[in-house]
Order: sequence, then structure tokens, then C-alpha cells
Amino acid sequence: MKKIRNWILIFAGCFAAQAVSAQVRPPLSVDINYSITQPLGSLKDYSDKTSFRGWSAGLQYMLNDQWSVGVRSGFQDFYQRLPRAVYPDKQGDVSAVQSRTLQVIPIQATVSYAFTKPSAAVIPYATVGVGAANMNYEKYWGEFVEKDNSWQFLVSPEIGINVPFGKASPVMFNANVRYNYSPYKVGDITNFNTIQGNIGLKFSLN
Amino acid sequence: MKRTLFFISAATALVAMVSFSSCRKDPLKDMTNEESRIYITNHDSTANFSSYSTFSIVDSVAVLTRTSDSAKKALTDYDKKLIASVSAAMQQRGYTLVAKSAKPDLAVNLTRIDNSYTNISWNPGWWGGGGYWDPGYWGYPGGGWYWPSYYTVYQVNEKQVAIDVFDLKNPKNSKFIAVWNALWRGSGVWSIDNIDSMVKASFDQSPYLKK
Repeated sequence: MKKIRNWILIFAGCFAAQAVSAQVRPPLSVDINYSITQPLGSLKDYSDKTSFRGWSAGLQYMLNDQWSVGVRSGFQDFYQRLPRAVYPDKQGDVSAVQSRTLQVIPIQATVSYAFTKPSAAVIPYATVGVGAANMNYEKYWGEFVEKDNSWQFLVSPEIGINVPFGKASPVMFNANVRYNYSPYKVGDITNFNTIQGNIGLKFSLN
Repeated sequence: MKRTLFFISAATALVAMVSFSSCRKDPLKDMTNEESRIYITNHDSTANFSSYSTFSIVDSVAVLTRTSDSAKKALTDYDKKLIASVSAAMQQRGYTLVAKSAKPDLAVNLTRIDNSYTNISWNPGWWGGGGYWDPGYWGYPGGGWYWPSYYTVYQVNEKQVAIDVFDLKNPKNSKFIAVWNALWRGSGVWSIDNIDSMVKASFDQSPYLKK
């Protein structure tokens, strides 16, 4: 009971803080970004091609001028085809053209901190996203697929900037760099490590 | 104004998600037949391949299909070429081709497995049953084949070709041990034009298989 009361107080405080601060734009926003992702570590050994097939999207609520919370999702596709090679396997020696793919769909809760006031011309910020990711692993041996689909813990710290199109514009240009880590293990992948660049737009909604 | 903005952003979100989520690269879309094929070879790691001198090969190819329990023996142009190509590869590795009546050290059995021989895991020697080569063919009626445990492999659900090499010299409990096997899977394994390259690939990845 006490806990609930404390939460209510915290939220009330947040709303109050937001209400008293001069409101530059509405607190609720949606962002849509195009993503380019570079795999690192053992993921790079599995599929070393930079992925140009991805997006990220989220909803954010500003608690006050600095802090906001939100949820986000997205998609990233990793793909690499290797020329024919012989792979020693417990099942024998297998000669195959391997097509190595991985699709990642994250779902994360986010907490962000803005380093300047919302009225600034450029608003640098930092975000941490914590949640889960659906990992869809498909390693093709020729036309035969070896599959694994699972949900994994995913944490993603990020730094970026928002640039409003005009001082109080509800539309902002967004660019950020995000690091993704998941203790994902399958086949030769011992963990999931990527660095992701995102550019897109952020719209304040009412 | 705000309402308009909301609709614009909602529409943008929807379009973005639909277009980007469908842009997964499909590995099968641009795959050639050659790329689709895999060649699996297994061998008995305890076998001493230089201890064998002679081999003989079947005079036709067993065809296993789902529709009939007992395999037919076939001798199509494909089969003739397969027999010739495998024989040549064995000879290149230093083994002498002899008639089966001349008590060869190694027996080479050839099998084609037909499309949709479904729901059969390739347990060791699953095809040792009806329709596979009868040891009587090799002059050992009542004998049997034995696939060691290294034969646990994939599931069978399409056209395949198998080459099995057995040790006729050292039967154990009147069973002949498979010492080498090659299995071809994928598109075009039953196509005559691919035989030579598939035989070559199988032998290339088995350098131990030589006199």
C-alpha cells in the first residue's frame, strides 16, 4: 500500500514538474529511425556484412525537461553468403554454400536524459534501453536450413541529438549511435554485439 | 494542425514498419542449383584405407521411393554415368576395379533416394532394409550391412544420392562395415550434368580415401 502511494506521489510529482516547466512541446512523442548496424565480435564472425536493412521506432513521454521514459521496437536483418567450403561437422564433412542470416526484433523500455533545455537549438541526450529481443537465426547449408528462434535479454545504451526544425517545432531531426548487447548463444555466436547508427524524425503528439 | 501532424506521423510509422520488415534478404531467392546442393561425406575413422587394394561396383543403381517398399534397380543414362564416374574416381585413388566374383576388398553400393521419402530420420543404416543392396549380390547371402554410429545424419525429404563403400575383407558377425559414404542433397542431384562435379567434390573432401 505504501509502495503504491509512493508511486502515485512520484508520478504526481513528475506531472507537476512537467506542468510547471514552460512547455516547449507536448510531452508525448513518437520517433521513427532508419538503422544501419555493424556486427561485432562473434556475430561478425558469423555474418560480417554491415546491415542496411533495419529500422527503429519508439514512443517517449517527457516527465520533465530532462527525463523521459518510453518503449521502442525495431528490426534488423543480418545476412552473409559464403562461397562453397567444406565444414567438418559431427555429422561428417559437409560441403556447402552457407547463407547465414539473423533477424532481430527488440522490444525495450527506455529512460532518457536530455543535456539541455527543450528550447535549445540542438538537444543532446543519452538513453538506455532494456528489454528483450526476438532472435531468428537461420543458417542455410545450401537450401537446407538450421533454425533457432528465441527471446533474449537485450540492453542498448545510446547517445544522440535531437534538432528541432525551428525553436518550438514539434518535429525534430534525430541522429543517434546505439550499442546493443545480448548474451545470445547459438552455433558459433557466443554473444550478440552490434553498433547501430540511426537517423530519423521525432514528432511530438498531443 | 496537431491532428494533422499526428496522422502524418502515424502513417509514416506504419509505412516504415511495413516496408522495412519485409526487406529481409531471402537466401533462397537468388540461389542457384549449384549453390543449393550439399555434399556430406562420412568415414570410419578406424578404417585403414591403404589396406584395401581392390573394389567392385554395383551394375545398376538402387532406387528407393516412398511408393514402393522394395527398391527397383535401375540403369538409366544417369546411372551408367554415375557408375563410370565413381569407378574412375576410385581408380584414381589407387584402387583396382575387379569383378565382384574376384573377391574385392571394397564394395561400392549406389542408391538414389526419391523425392519425398518423408518422415524418415537417417538413423544408422535406415536404408539397410527392404530394397537396399542384398549382401547376396556380393556373394554373401545371409550377410548384412552395418553402419557405424557416425552415420547419424539429416532427415530425408527430397531427392538424394548415396554412395556407400563397404569393407568386404573384415566382416564382423557376418556384417560388412561401411567405411565411407557420400550423400548428395539439393536441387539437381539427379541431373546427369552434375555427376562429375559432385563425384569430384565428394572425393576432394575425402583425401584419406586412397590406396
